[in-house]
Amino acid sequence: MNLTSIHVYWYVIPLVVAISLVYAASRHESWRTIASQALRLCGMIFTVLLATTAILLVINLQL
Amino acid sequence: MTPTTVRLKNRRLAALLAFLVPGLGHAYQGRYGKAILYFVCIYFLFFVGLSLGDGKILYWRWVNPLADVEHFCGWYLFQFFAGIAALPALIQATLQHFGLGPILWGYGAEPSSDLINGLYPRLGKLVEVGFIYTEAAGLLNILAIFDAYEGPAQRVEAVPTAADDAKAETSS
Repeated sequence: MNLTSIHVYWYVIPLVVAISLVYAASRHESWRTIASQALRLCGMIFTVLLATTAILLVINLQL
Repeated sequence: MTPTTVRLKNRRLAALLAFLVPGLGHAYQGRYGKAILYFVCIYFLFFVGLSLGDGKILYWRWVNPLADVEHFCGWYLFQFFAGIAALPALIQATLQHFGLGPILWGYGAEPSSDLINGLYPRLGKLVEVGFIYTEAAGLLNILAIFDAYEGPAQRVEAVPTAADDAKAETSS
């Protein structure tokens, strides 16, 4: 598989997942809490990223 | 709510082991689940990032950052915390500084300027992604080292106790 053919934005997914898991694991010891915290953080990061992208896209369309 | 009890054993040794190999300090403390999680997440990011940069984005130069900012490898300060996977770059730079050839099949050695300059035209933004992945891996290992030394940041977990379960049953 040619890695250059994958759009660079897809590489953000494993990065965000890894950051969420490691951050949650560093704060909690119970697996249930780690999973829920990681899921929440993951969702929050993606929401912010998508919202920022949408805002920038709207601004760009006006130009 | 119950306070989480974590037996940290020799905390300094655990932190050192966690620095050398992500998760090794936690394995020493008997926290095997976390050890696997840290090992997989951190090394996944580090080695995928390294391969995205064609293995040429991990190196260090012994230069004075105040005198020669352009050649100072600032990104390595983050990669460094990935531990034993990043340490060969220091060894290779030291060998190069004294005019000696690279060891370990050149792993972590500074590539020639032609190779470095050829990376961006050939791989494009993947090189940047590779840098971000490897730097993020190093930064995440700092959290893992801190966890091995201090235990989890939040000591009181929302783990239901038998009393909490009984209370929930009576209320329902």
